This record gives sequence, structure tokens and C-alpha cells, in this order.
Amino acid sequence: MSASASEAAKRLLPGSELCVHCGFCLQACPTYLALDDENDSPRGRIVLMKAIADGSISTTDTAALEHLDRCLGCRACETACPSGVPYGQLLEATRERLSPERPLPFVARAILWTFARHWALLVAMTGARVLRATGIAKVLSKLPGSSGFGMAMLHSTRRGVHNQPWTPRASGALGTVATLDGCVMEGLFSDVNRATERTLSENGYRLTHATGQRCCGALHAHTGDAATARDLARTNIAAFERSGAEFVAVNSAGCGSMLKEYGHLLHDDGAWHDRAVAFSAKVRDVSELLAVAGPVPGAAIGKRVTYDAPCHLMHGQRVVNPPLAVLGAIEGLNLVPLNDCEQCCGSAGIYNLIEPDVSDRVLAPKLANIAATNAQIVATGNPGCMMQIGAGLARTGSKTVARHPIELLDASYGRRARLGGSS
Amino acid sequence: MDLGAGVRVMSTVLTPSTTDELASIVRESVAAHRSLAVRGVGSWSLALARASAAATPLSMAKMSGIVEYVPGDLTLTARAGTTLVEIEAATRANGQWCPLLPWGTDDGTLGATFATATTGPFRAALGAPRDIAIGVEFVDGTGAIARGGGRVVKNVAGFDLTRLMVGSWGTLGVITEISMRLRALPAVDSTLVVQCDVEDPAVLARIDAFRRGPYVPLACECIGAAHAMTLGLGEARLLVRVGGNAAFVAESVRRLGELGTVEAHAPELWAHYRERDPYRRHFTDAYATPLAARVKRKFDPHGILNPNVLGEVTS
Amino acid sequence: METLRRIVGDRHVLTRSSELLVYENDALPGYHKRPSLVVLPGTADEVVAVVRALYAAGLQWVARGAGTGLSGGALADDVVLLGLHRLKKIISVDPIARLAVVEPGVVNANLTKAATPFGLHYAPDPSSQTACTIGGNVAENAGGPHCLKYGVTLNHVQAATVVLPDGEIVKLAVPADHEAALDLMGAFVGSEGCFGVALDVTVRLTPNPEGIRTMLADFSSMDDAARATSAIIAAGILPAALELMDQATIAAVEASVYAAGYPTDCAAVLLVEVDGPECGLDDDAAAIAALCRECGARDVRTARDATDRARLWQGRKKAFGAMGRVASHLAVQDAVVPRTRLAPILARIAEIGTRHGVHVCNVFHAGDGNLHPNVPYNADDPDENARVHSAMKEIMELCIAEGGTISGEHGVGFDKLPYMEKLFPGDSLDAMCRLRDAFDPLRRANPGKVVPSHACREWISAPGFGS
Repeated sequence: MSASASEAAKRLLPGSELCVHCGFCLQACPTYLALDDENDSPRGRIVLMKAIADGSISTTDTAALEHLDRCLGCRACETACPSGVPYGQLLEATRERLSPERPLPFVARAILWTFARHWALLVAMTGARVLRATGIAKVLSKLPGSSGFGMAMLHSTRRGVHNQPWTPRASGALGTVATLDGCVMEGLFSDVNRATERTLSENGYRLTHATGQRCCGALHAHTGDAATARDLARTNIAAFERSGAEFVAVNSAGCGSMLKEYGHLLHDDGAWHDRAVAFSAKVRDVSELLAVAGPVPGAAIGKRVTYDAPCHLMHGQRVVNPPLAVLGAIEGLNLVPLNDCEQCCGSAGIYNLIEPDVSDRVLAPKLANIAATNAQIVATGNPGCMMQIGAGLARTGSKTVARHPIELLDASYGRRARLGGSS
Repeated sequence: MDLGAGVRVMSTVLTPSTTDELASIVRESVAAHRSLAVRGVGSWSLALARASAAATPLSMAKMSGIVEYVPGDLTLTARAGTTLVEIEAATRANGQWCPLLPWGTDDGTLGATFATATTGPFRAALGAPRDIAIGVEFVDGTGAIARGGGRVVKNVAGFDLTRLMVGSWGTLGVITEISMRLRALPAVDSTLVVQCDVEDPAVLARIDAFRRGPYVPLACECIGAAHAMTLGLGEARLLVRVGGNAAFVAESVRRLGELGTVEAHAPELWAHYRERDPYRRHFTDAYATPLAARVKRKFDPHGILNPNVLGEVTS
Repeated sequence: METLRRIVGDRHVLTRSSELLVYENDALPGYHKRPSLVVLPGTADEVVAVVRALYAAGLQWVARGAGTGLSGGALADDVVLLGLHRLKKIISVDPIARLAVVEPGVVNANLTKAATPFGLHYAPDPSSQTACTIGGNVAENAGGPHCLKYGVTLNHVQAATVVLPDGEIVKLAVPADHEAALDLMGAFVGSEGCFGVALDVTVRLTPNPEGIRTMLADFSSMDDAARATSAIIAAGILPAALELMDQATIAAVEASVYAAGYPTDCAAVLLVEVDGPECGLDDDAAAIAALCRECGARDVRTARDATDRARLWQGRKKAFGAMGRVASHLAVQDAVVPRTRLAPILARIAEIGTRHGVHVCNVFHAGDGNLHPNVPYNADDPDENARVHSAMKEIMELCIAEGGTISGEHGVGFDKLPYMEKLFPGDSLDAMCRLRDAFDPLRRANPGKVVPSHACREWISAPGFGS
């Protein structure tokens, strides 16, 4: 690349000029580790993205697109980067640039279309719950390939034993919180949403609801449909402003990461930019709010648990310790460390459905590491990760299950309530 | 001059006093089809005996003297014929020492110590000649003068001629000058004799554990009964040298005390100890492989330097 | 090409131009060399087969590990790029002999990770250790902060199986003490990929020290920090590491995710570490702290715990990568100077920088005298580009004149080739060429590196040279 071309890249792809090519990102990248080609690494993809930006690679270059498509968007490279290259933003900008010229796979288009429409989402999630409740998902999960894997993901969201509702002590002293429902969370993990509400109440937050909220738009932004993502963002900002909440609590790491970046998403939307920045400043992962509050200790659960850090929590939001504080509030929990817990599981939104081969290669070491812990439960605070890991575990015949950390804390609080009073 | 086992009648001994003179000698030797047997003070009788009888002795004794020594840098450059005694005297005056301390006597030369890569009882703690050398100047088998490395402690500029020369027994070039690292003398330097049964496997295991650290000694040698007699130690003993600050040495002594009674000794004991059996080496036919043979041909194409000492080019 | 595909599989031969673009440079932005194709073997047998196929086809090639080199060493135009990062198996770890056998693509930090359960580590720790490979370390004779006490790669490599450019497989090993034999292993380390490819490497592992004291001393002048370094070395205390960072570097690090809590208002900090058995360690640390204070340190603080220590080190080790915050390009130097000359030389370097109007950031292995004057700049500005290069040239000439060398650990590669003739006389360069020719008579491996071709007499006189 000539000097003037690199100047162009700086103008056309702001942030890419920060990369000095040191290579410290390589070992953080799950696809580089799985595929062994620098074209599938952050450093390599930045070279490709710069070249696309300045026109030295065409927007229809199949080789370059193949490598960019394989990026999980886990942003582990950002946590490794000393120069602070905003890799996730470069990727979204590049995908936005490419999207008018190339259609997404059918599966991806169908999902994005559904998530952007409230009624369609309700229909889809109801259908999914029927498949799950009737056990059809379980049967179909034995199918080979990605359709079987998809059904295994759905089946993994089933809870044989539901957490019993209990009544939290609600002081409300720490402020008002509105929670993000989340498409998949409310559709398939409504138990976790209720648990989130109870545990926040128990820890001193007053809950309110932001009516009119919609999908966070993360999947759209990741796949280059920034226009839809921006529409959804504006809708959500307005809804949460109306709720008057001081904090926006999110229990899905991917959605939380997106909400925290509305400021960037709407950076050239004059009227909305300031509102977006103010909104993003209120967004917290549920574990952050709980960690600030203590959290209140719960009753003993004698399980062997390991923690897998969702990429969008660890790398996207740089939230590292609060989920461990949440688990730490559960008495008697045998928390064992997970090797390479900061590595992506391969879920990455809908990546596992459109790049199943690479996703499998990324998931394999994760499953092996989990098996090595002998844990009964893998705790991870993102629906995609719970489903990916849950499906992977089930398909390999493991007895280990994936759960949200909040579910475990909620069970611990519920147990304490049933035992009577505080422990 | 006593040449030990390989006594031969020598008509002349070539004794250059400058590098240029040496280079001329080599060039003349090439022209005259004369081979050269390089030596420092002639201690390596076994090696000299291996060298072909027709080779003319080339003594480096006159090419001696310290070229540069900046104590604050802990580096020293000296000509190959400089004896270890001279280096020792110069460095000790500045609270430093030369970490070579090879088997044999300190009458030997720096050039021979590096050319033969001779180690000693302090090798594990202080390094082998290959670790201590930082630069070299030599005259190759064509009479060309070349340098590798330099006078600073870290250097990756160019291919590593220093490592090539160290241990090549003068078969690729005649080392004329060496730059090396030095060490500061430890604040406390204790030579200790421990009374323990150095033939008992259980004791040996404990000695090995001590040697592996964390209180790593400068040297830790088991002395058999016969050898102990010659050193004036009476019976079989463990001979240890520990160096460091006072707290380190005190703890080392305490740990050694668990092996047996510890007696302090004068450090001169090591000089006697190093004299033991210095010339026993296994000579390989280094030039039997195609790669080594190519190296030999590149540096001594006429085969005039220390012929046969490391075997001949056979492939 | 079909032969190569047959050996390594279709997916591991890259020929499409956009894919080759990614392999155009290493970690030194500014050098771009386009390989003719990239081949990524996955096993030692595949490497041998590839090298033999290239030999038979009369093709030149350049080996590459993780591409984290800082001398443009793993690049060349129109040659085959042989990537070795897929060979990442740790073949064995022997805690009793304290040896490990690894494939060349094993990442430096991963070897230490594998040795950790045995209380051992791999001592050479280049700042890129989380990314760089052992094969690359061997090729460059890589150093790192802790090499001050523990030695560089050369001192830790015991043996290697090497495929020579003509396809011959040789076993190299450091001769045993009782053996009279050539140290071709020593000659191979640091040969910058010009002598062949290591298929496996046997390295020494080092016991983890019982205790560690990491200190951060901050100074209000660079001169004081340099004098403190010279004083510590001259006093004969051998720290595990002794690193210097100046204000500009500290600012870049403190703005990054690796912010270490270095004081941003000082002129320079020294990061000094002593390690070893617990008894006596505090005395060494106290002696160093006292020397720092005597030389004018404002404050000397000791890391509270392992987390604090790790944070102090992360800042140092990621400093190079953080330079992207200052400008998009970076000129990196690697000169070594006598340790008693640090203060005057650093003053001269600052003066050279000012005179040329360039921003010199110093972050380096002070204890070894191994300078890294880094200049972040914008290569798109032709005037700035020219000023940076004249300043760098002057700095290098200064270091050579002061009795130093042009590279302590990064290698010559392309970047320092012009200085080789200033450092070594013609006969020395010719001798180096002859050593290379013994390993690679046809100059197939990493052409055009380390020694300028015109310095190789035999090569020049050979028929066909220059055609």
C-alpha cells in the first residue's frame, strides 16, 4: 500500500490508522487460532478493510469478503490492542459499505427481518416455544449439521426445573432501573428476565418498565444494515427516556454492548447524537449494577460452576469482574477457573448459523476446556453464548448445562427466602 | 617446550606479534603448502598430538595484552595470547572477575580457552565460553582478517562468527582477539567443605536438590576419596562455592548444614581443584558431515589450520 | 504450485492478490514486500517437502513465524513466503532435565504456560511474547527485558532439527562440555532465516524465582535515569531486568488499555526487577533503590503484589504497540551501546531528534545498553519521512562511533542492512557471507538480508551474478 493510500484509509476508515501492525492481537483472535491464516486475523482484516476503503481491493473481491465474513466480531482483539484500534467499529463500517452490493444469506435476512418487526418476533418466538415445549426441538436436535445444531440451541433454553418466584426486599434506595427485555431473552429466557428483576429489587433498585422498546439492533449493525440499527436505536432511546429510569439494565451482553455504543452508531445524526450519548451513559450490564450493590449474599448452592466470559461483556464492554462478584455472592459455590475463558465460543449473534464450519472449530476448544473443569454448570451472561455452549454440550453428550449467572444468584436468593430470612 | 605425549622435534615456532603479521604467515603458508599447528602456551598436548606431524607450530604467546577494559561496562577485550592470570589480576583490582575459570591452570591463554570452549566447575552458574564471548577477531585459513560480534553485551548484527570460532579448535581461523563479559565479584564469596557421604544415593539426591536451587551455588562438586587426598581434604567431601550478599550466603550455609558439618575453606582450593584432569576431551570427527565440511572449506579451503584436530573433511 | 497444494492442501496455499496483501509486512510498518505466494505447511514433514519442492523448482523463499519482527526480516518481493505458525505443537516438556522440545510455530508465551505447572518458564521474553513464535525467536536471536540476567535466545537453545535450503535434514546441538566439536547450533541462532528452517527446537526451561521485587523509580531528568542505570550495573548487582521509559512513551502507555499507573509528570522511569531466592532479595532491592535515589530519583516504589507487578510489566511490554496513538508509522531502532555511555548518548539522541524536528520516544533495555529510540511519524508526509530517516541514520552512526552495535535483538533484516558496512569491514562481511554459503550455497533462503550482497566476494565473482 502506498503512503497516499494509507492516508486515504485514515480518512475513509477512521481508527484504522491507529494500527501499527504489532501483531499483539493475533493470539486473541479465535478465527486466527482456528484457521491459521493471517487473513483471518484482526491485523490481516484491518489490512483488507483499509484496502477496501481506499479502493485497492474491490468490494466484490471474493477472497477478502470471505475472510471478513468469517470474523466473529467478538472484539477480543480490542482488549489486546495497545493502540486502541476500534476494530468493532471498523468492521461495522466496512460491512455497511459492502452491504448494498451483496445480499446476505437467506437465514440471516430472515432473522434480521423478523427481529426488526415486533409482531413477527412475537410469532417467531411463540413458534420456537412450541417446538421447545413439545419436545420437537429435542428430537430434531439429533439431526446432523446446522439445522440440528439450531434445534439443539433451542432445546438448550428449556428449563426442566424453573426457579421458584420469591418476594424480594425492595428498598429502591440505589435508583430506578428499566430493564431491556431483549428479543431472545424475553422470547426464550423469560425466566432469566424475571430473575433479573427480582435480584435487582433485592439489591436496592426500583424497577420500572420502558414501554415501546424494541430489538437493540446489534444483529443489524453487525451485518451492515446500519439503517435499521439506527431506526431501532432511536425508538429505544425515546422509550427509555420516557421511562425516566436512571439506569438501563441489560442481561444480554451483546445487546448491552450495542446500547452502550448508540453514541457511535448515531454519531452523524445531529438531532439524536447527544441523546444517544446520554442514553448510552446510563446503560449497565446487570452484573455491574449488582456488583455496585454488593451484591447481597444468597444461600448456599453446592454446585461446581465455571464462568465463561461473553465477548461482548469482556471485550465489548470491558466488564470483567462484576459477573464473578455475582457468583461470589452465592455461598458454597465451587467456582473453578475456565482455561481460555476470554476466548469466543463461536456463537457471535447469528454467525453460528451462517458460518457453521468455522463456528464449530471455534467451539471445539471451548467445549474441551469446559470438560476439563468437571463443572456441572457453565455460567455465561449472554443468550447466544448460553445457546451455543448449551447446544455444543448437549450434542457431545455432556451433562454440563449453560446458565445465566443471574439465574444462579436468583436460585440462591429464592432458597434463602424459603429457608426464612437472611443467611 | 614440553609437549607431553606428542613430543616431536620442532625446527621453528612461528610467533607473530601482530594480527597483520599473523595474516602474512597464513598467506605465506598457503603459498608454501605449509600447515600450521596453533597454540597458546602449548598446554593442549593431546590436541597438538592430533595435529599432523608436518604442521609448523604457531604460538600466539606474543600476541597478548588487554586492549580495552571499562570496568563500569563489565566487558573486556584482550588479545588471544593474554593469559588468564593477567585477566584475573586486572579484573580483581576492580572488584570483578573473569567468569571462565576453566579446567587447567590460569597460565593458559584466553584464546585457547575460547578456541577449545573449555568449561570449568563454575559453568552452570557463570556460563560456558560460548555464553561469555561477545566478539571475536580472527585470521582465517586464507589470511583474511575478520571480526564478528563486538564489545557490547547484546549483539545480533550479522551472522554469528563468534559462536563459529568458539570451540572450533583453531580449525576455521586463528582467534587474535576476544571480547567478553565479566562479572562483579560477589559481596560474600564462601568456599565450603561439607562432610557428607558423597557415594550414598540418598545423599546425592539431596545434593542435587540443593544444586537445583533456589539457592543456586557457584559450584557444587562431589570429591571422591582419592581426589580428596590430593586436595588435602582427607576424605570424600562435598566442595561448594556460594556467592551473593550476606543473607543469601548465610541461608545457603544453613541449608548445606542439613547435609553435614560445614567448614569454610580458602578459595585457593578451587585453583587446585581446576587443575584436575583438564585435558580429557572427546574429539569428534566434526568435519564428517557435509554441512561442517562446507564450513571448513569456506574458512580454511587449503586445510592448513590445525589439520586433523577435529578430523578431516571426508565428504 | 500444484505440487505445493498437494503437499499442504488447497486451503494452505494462498495466491489471490488480496490475500497476499496481508503478508506484505511484519511488525515494522513502512516496509511492504509482496510475496509471490504464501504456503502454510502444518507438519515438519510438510515443511521438508515444501522446501525440497522449492529447491527443485529453483525458487527463493522467506520463512515467517508470527510476523512480529521489527527489521523487515520476514519479507521479500516475489519470493515464496513460508509461514511456520501452523507448527504449534509443544512436543515435550521435561521438568527434570528442564528442557522442552517445541515446533517452530509455538508462541513464546504458550511455552511458558505449558511449563508453569512444573514451576518453570522459558526465560527469553521479547515484548511480543504473547504473539511471537519460538522459531522466529531462534531466527532473530530474540532478547527481552529479562535477558539481562537470564541471557538471550542463544543461551537457551540446546538443539534443533533443521532442514537446509537444499532439503537436507541436519541435527544441530550445542556441544557437550566434554566434546570437542563445532557449535553450529550457536551459528544457526540469529541467522535470520538465511540458514534453513528449524523443524523442532530444544530449549532450556528456567525455574521460576522464589521471590520477585519489582520497583518503579521515577526521575525528573533522563540523564539521572541513565546515570542510575550505569550505577546499578557498575555496582555489580545483576537485576533480572532494568528497563527505561521516557515521558513520551509513558504518555502513550497510560492512554492505552495497558495503563500501568506510571507517573506521567516525570521525565523517565526505570522499571527494575530483582528475583531469586527470598533470602537476600530485599537487600538487593534496597541497594538498587538507594542507588536510584542517589542519582536523583524522585520516588522508588515497589509493586505490592503479583497483580501490581503484572500491571507494571504489561505497560512496558505493550509500549511499542501503543505508539500507534502517537502516529501511524513507527521507525524502530535497536542499537546497543556501552552501559557507561548511556547518559551522554541519550543526550545526543535527544539533540539529534530536536535538530531534525522528530519525536524520539525511548523505551529500552537499559541494563544491557540496548536502546530503542522509536520515532512515531506520518510516512505520508514526504518531508517528515525524510527528516525521520536522516535522524535515524545519525543516531545509528553515533551508536557505532561510541563502540556500539546496530542491533541487539531485532536483527538486521532489510531495515539495518545499510549500516552493516559501517559496522564491519569488508573481510568480516565476506566471512559472514561464507558462513551463509556453507548452509545455503545457492542463496535460496531469505535473499537479500543481513549482509549486503555486494559485500560477498565469492558470490559476486560467481558467473551469472547480477543477471
